[in-house]
Amino acid sequence: MNINPEHLPIVIHALNVGFVQTLKLFAVTLLGAIPLGLIISFGSMNNWRPLGWLFSAVGLAPQGRFGKWLSNIRPIRALTRLVVWVVRGTPLMIQLLIIYYFPGLVLGNPIWGGSEAGRFTASAVAFVFNYACYFSEIYRGGIQGVPRGQQEAGLVLGMTRRQIFFKVTLLQMIKRIVPPMSNEIITLVKDTSLARIIALQEIIWAGQAFMKGSQGISGVIWPLFFTAIYYLIFNGILTVLLERLERKLDYFR
Amino acid sequence: MKTKKLLALLLTGAMTATLLAGCGSSNNNADGGAADSGADAAQSDLAYVQDKGTLVVGITEFEPMDYQDASGEWIGFDADLAKAFAESLGVKAEFQLIDWNSKVMELDGKTIDVVWNGMTLTDEVKSAMSCSNAYCSNAQVVIVPSDKAADYQDAESVKGLSFAVETGSAGKDEVEALGASFTEVADQATALMEVASGTSEAAVIDSLMAAAMVGEGTSYANLTYTVGLNSEEYGVGFRKGSDLTEKLNEFFKTCYEDGTMMKIAEQYGVQAALIEQ
Repeated sequence: MNINPEHLPIVIHALNVGFVQTLKLFAVTLLGAIPLGLIISFGSMNNWRPLGWLFSAVGLAPQGRFGKWLSNIRPIRALTRLVVWVVRGTPLMIQLLIIYYFPGLVLGNPIWGGSEAGRFTASAVAFVFNYACYFSEIYRGGIQGVPRGQQEAGLVLGMTRRQIFFKVTLLQMIKRIVPPMSNEIITLVKDTSLARIIALQEIIWAGQAFMKGSQGISGVIWPLFFTAIYYLIFNGILTVLLERLERKLDYFR
Repeated sequence: MKTKKLLALLLTGAMTATLLAGCGSSNNNADGGAADSGADAAQSDLAYVQDKGTLVVGITEFEPMDYQDASGEWIGFDADLAKAFAESLGVKAEFQLIDWNSKVMELDGKTIDVVWNGMTLTDEVKSAMSCSNAYCSNAQVVIVPSDKAADYQDAESVKGLSFAVETGSAGKDEVEALGASFTEVADQATALMEVASGTSEAAVIDSLMAAAMVGEGTSYANLTYTVGLNSEEYGVGFRKGSDLTEKLNEFFKTCYEDGTMMKIAEQYGVQAALIEQ
C-alpha cells in the first residue's frame, strides 16, 4: 500500500476537518454528561418512600410483609434505575438511530433537520445521555465507597447534610472515581465514531471517503487506517493529563 | 395473610393493565402521526420543498456522480443535474451525505428530500421509493486480482469464487442469481478491500464505480474488472407518492432534448451510459 505524496496534503486536511468534528462531539459529551451523571446518580440513590411517609403521617405502622414492601417503595430510585438499565442495556448505535430518525419517521416532525448541524445535535444528545448513565454508576460507587462513619462524624459535628456532601463526601468521591472515569473518557474518544451511522462526518467517515472517491482521490485505502494515529495521539495526551490529575488528588487518602 | 396476597395480585394486575393501556394509546397516536405525515407528502411534496426553499439531496460521495472538488463544491453528473433541477423548481440544492443503508429512513423521516446518487433501480428500491425514469445505464462487474483476470472472463468461470458484495445492492442480487457463495459487507468500497486483502476472491460492484476505483494510481492497482454480469439502470428516488417524481421526469425530457444532459454527461465521461428520455 504505497502513499502518493501528492495526496498527502488533501487527505490530511480532510482528516483534520473530520477530527475536529470528533473532538467537538467528545467535548460536548463530557461537558454534558459529567453534571448530568451526578444528577442521575442522586436519583439512583434516592431514598424517598412516599407510602412509608404517608403511613407515618397518618400514624399507622405498616403491617405484614406486603405492608412493609409497600412502605418501602422508592419510586424515584426505581424509575432512575429503570432508565439506566435501558440506556446501558441497549447499543449506542441503536440509540443514535432512534434519537435521529424517530421524530421524523414516527411523529412526522423531523426536529433535527437534515443538515450536518442537526446530525451533530442529535449525536450529542444520544452521547450525553448514554455516557451520563455510565458516569452515574461510577459516581454512585464513589459516593457509597466513602465510609459511613465520616457522615456520622459530620452529623456529630453539627454539619448539615448539604455541608457533609460538599465538604466531606464529594472531594473523596472525585479522588476515587478518577481511574474508572479515565477508562470511560478514553472509550468515549473512540465511541464517537459510532455517530457515522447517522452520517455525522467524523474522522473515520472522512478517511473512508477516499475509498469511494473524494476531491479527485479515489480507490485509496490508507487514509482510513491513518485515522488510528489521530486517536492514538489524542488518547496519549489524555492519558498523561488524567494521570497528572490522579497524582494531584493523591495528597489526601 | 391470604387477603393481602390477593390484594397484591389485584394491584399488580391493575398496574399491568394500566401500563398496557398506556402503551396501546401511545401506539395509536404514533400511527396516526405517521399516517398524517404520509398523506401530507402525497399531497404536496413540491409545495413542501418550495416552502422551505431547499431541495436536500441525499448522496454518498463517489466519482463521477456526486463528489467534492478541491474547493468543497459538490460536482458530478448527478450533482450538476440536481442543481439544475432544484433551480427549475425555484429552490436551492443542498447536498447531504448519508449512510446508504439508511436512505429510505432519511427520505421518510424528511431529513432529505431525494436520493440522487447513481442508484440502481432494483425491486427493493422501487417498492420503497417513488422512482424517476431511468437516466443512465450501468452494469455490475466482477473485480478480481489482475494476475488471475485471464481465467475469469465469463460468467461461467466465476461461479466457483467466493464473493464480497455490498449489502442490499444490485451486485448482491447478481451473485445470488449466479449461485456463487458470498459475504455481505457495508459498502462497495469495503467489498474491494476484501478482494485486495484476499479475504474474498472476487467482488461485484457498479461499472461506473469500478472505472474510478481500481487500477493505476489507486490502492487497488493490482485489481481489475472482467465480466459484466447484467446491465441495469440508474434512477432518482423520492418519497412514496411524491409529486416531485413527475416534475423530474419532465425536467429530464426537456434537458435531454435541448442537449444539456448530454453536455454534462460528456463533462464527467458517462455519455456512453446516458439513456434517451
